[in-house]
Amino acid sequence: MQPAISAKGISKSFRTGFFKPRKQVLHAVDLEVAPGAIFGILGPNGAGKTTFISILATLLRPDGGQAQVLGLDVLKDPGRLRERVNLAASGAHFLWCLTVEENLRFYGRLYGLGGRTLVAKVEELLELFELQPHRRVTFERLSTGLKQRLALAKALINNPELLFLDEPTTGLDPEMSRHLRGEILRLNRDKGLTILLTTHNLREAEQLCGEVAFLKEGRMLARGTIPQLQERLGLGDHVSLVFRDGPAPLDYAQLPGVLTFNLENNRVDLRVDRGEERLAAILEAVSRTQSQVVQVRLQEVDLAEIYHEITL
Amino acid sequence: MRLPSDFHKIYAYAVRSALVNRRNVFAVFEMLFWPGVAIFSVGLLTRFLKLDPETVTFILIGAVSMNTIQIAQLDLSYALLYSVWAKSLKHEFMAPVGLAHILVGSGLVGLIRGFLVFVLMGLLSMWLFNMDLGPPGTWGLLIFLAGMFLNAAIIGALVLALVLRFGQRAEVAAWAFSYLMLLLCGLYYPVSVLPPGVRELAQFIPLTYFLEYFRHFYGFPQASSHPLLYGFSQSVIYLGLCYGLVQYTLRSALQRGTLLRLSE
Repeated sequence: MQPAISAKGISKSFRTGFFKPRKQVLHAVDLEVAPGAIFGILGPNGAGKTTFISILATLLRPDGGQAQVLGLDVLKDPGRLRERVNLAASGAHFLWCLTVEENLRFYGRLYGLGGRTLVAKVEELLELFELQPHRRVTFERLSTGLKQRLALAKALINNPELLFLDEPTTGLDPEMSRHLRGEILRLNRDKGLTILLTTHNLREAEQLCGEVAFLKEGRMLARGTIPQLQERLGLGDHVSLVFRDGPAPLDYAQLPGVLTFNLENNRVDLRVDRGEERLAAILEAVSRTQSQVVQVRLQEVDLAEIYHEITL
Repeated sequence: MRLPSDFHKIYAYAVRSALVNRRNVFAVFEMLFWPGVAIFSVGLLTRFLKLDPETVTFILIGAVSMNTIQIAQLDLSYALLYSVWAKSLKHEFMAPVGLAHILVGSGLVGLIRGFLVFVLMGLLSMWLFNMDLGPPGTWGLLIFLAGMFLNAAIIGALVLALVLRFGQRAEVAAWAFSYLMLLLCGLYYPVSVLPPGVRELAQFIPLTYFLEYFRHFYGFPQASSHPLLYGFSQSVIYLGLCYGLVQYTLRSALQRGTLLRLSE
C-alpha cells in the first residue's frame, strides 16, 4: 500500500541575517506514514517540528530531499495536493471582523465550494463543533477554545484525506484539550483521516498516536510504536515489590526479563522487559525464597521516559 | 482552468473585501470624507486664486484622479495586508488559490469603490465648481476610468509584492507608491513644469498619458501623438511585470519561510 506521507532526506536552513551563517533547521529527515494512521512528531521547542510539517503542507520549500504526500510531490504538484489536505495550528488566527460562519464560508470558497454544497458543509461543521450558537459572533470576540474549534472546523472544510495538526491543543484548558482530542480520534476512526500531528505534550501523543517520531535539533532520533521504542531503547516496565522483612535473597539480575534493579530498604524496583508477561515468573521465584511480599506494582513505561531517554 | 471553482475563489476574496470595508468605519472615511475634503480644498483654492474655468477643470481632474486611484488600489494592496494583520496568511496559501484569484477578487471591490468615488467627486465638482464632464463623452470617460483602474492595479500589485517580501513593514507603501506616481505624472500641473530629469520619468508612467488624453477634451494640448497607445501599452507591460514580480516574491516567500513568519 502506498504510504500517505513519504519523505526522504528533507533538509532546510534559514538565513539568520546578512553576513551571518545559515541556520540548519532540518538535517536529512526521513518519514513514512501509513494511510489512516495518527502519527505524532514529538520534540522540544525549536526541534524543527513546525518547519517539517510546513514543508509537507506545501507552505515551505525544502533545500533538499523529496517528499510525497498522498502520492503527490510537494514541490511539483502543490496545487493538487492542497485540494486534498488541510492544516490546523495552535493559536488559531482568522480575519478578526468576520463571523464564525463568514470565515468558514470564505475558506470553503477558497477550496472551490459554492452554492448549496458550501451551505451544507458549513452547517455540518457548525453542528459538528457545536459552533451554531456562535455562528454570528466575530472571530475577535470568540474565546480561545472556540477559536481553536473554528480552526479545526476550517481544517475539515474541504473533506481532506490528510490533516496536519501543528500543536492543536496548545493554549487550551484541560477540558477543551480533552474534547479536541476526542474529536481528533473520532475523525480518524469515522472518516479514516490520516493525521500527522506535532506536539510536545506527551500525554496527548500517547492518547492519540499509533506511532511517534522524535525530532531534536532537526534530526529524527527515533520512530516507531511505543512498545517498539521501549524495546529498542531497552526501557522495560516498572515492577516494584515491597517485602515485609527485607528483600528476598535473590540474584535479581538473573530473573526473567530483568534489565536493571535497585534495592532500597524493603523495596525492590525492577525494570523488566514486557513486565506483564514476566511478572508471574518473578513472583514465583520470590515465593520460593519464603519471603513475604506485601505489595506488588506493575507500571508500564510511558512516553515521558522514552522522550527523556531519547532527547536528553 | 475550472471555471466554477475559480469563480468561487475569486468571489471569496471579493466578499471578504466587501465585508471588511462594510465593517470598517475608516473605509467610509476613505470613500466619503477624504475625497470630499480634497474636492472642497482644491476647488476653494482655485476660487481664491481666481483661476480661469479651464485651469480649474485641469486641477479638478487631477484631484478626482488622485482619489479614484488611491481608493481603487487600496483593496488590492490590503488583500494580503488583511491576512498579515489577521496572521491567517498560511491558511489562505494552504488552500489551492492562485495570485490571480486574490488580484481579481480584491481588485473588483477596489474597482467598484473607485468608481463610486469618481462619481461622487465628479458630481461635487460639477455642482460646486461648475466643472463640466460632458466634453469627453461616455467613451472618453470610460477610457479615462479604465486607465485609472489599470494604474491602480499596477500600484496594488507592487504593494502585494512588497507585503510578501517585507510583511507589515510594507504597509506604508500602500499609500506612498500612489503619491509618488501621482507627483510625477502631472496631476495638478502639466508635465512640462517638472524639473529636467524628473520630467523624463513622467514618460514612463501610464497615468501621464491618460491625464493628457482626458484633458485634451478641455482644450489642453497633447504632448504625445498617441497617448492612449502609450498609456495602455505601458499599463499592460507593467501589469505583466508586476504579476511576475508577485509570483516571484511568493515563490521566494515559500523558500524563505516568510508565509510562516507572517502567520505567527
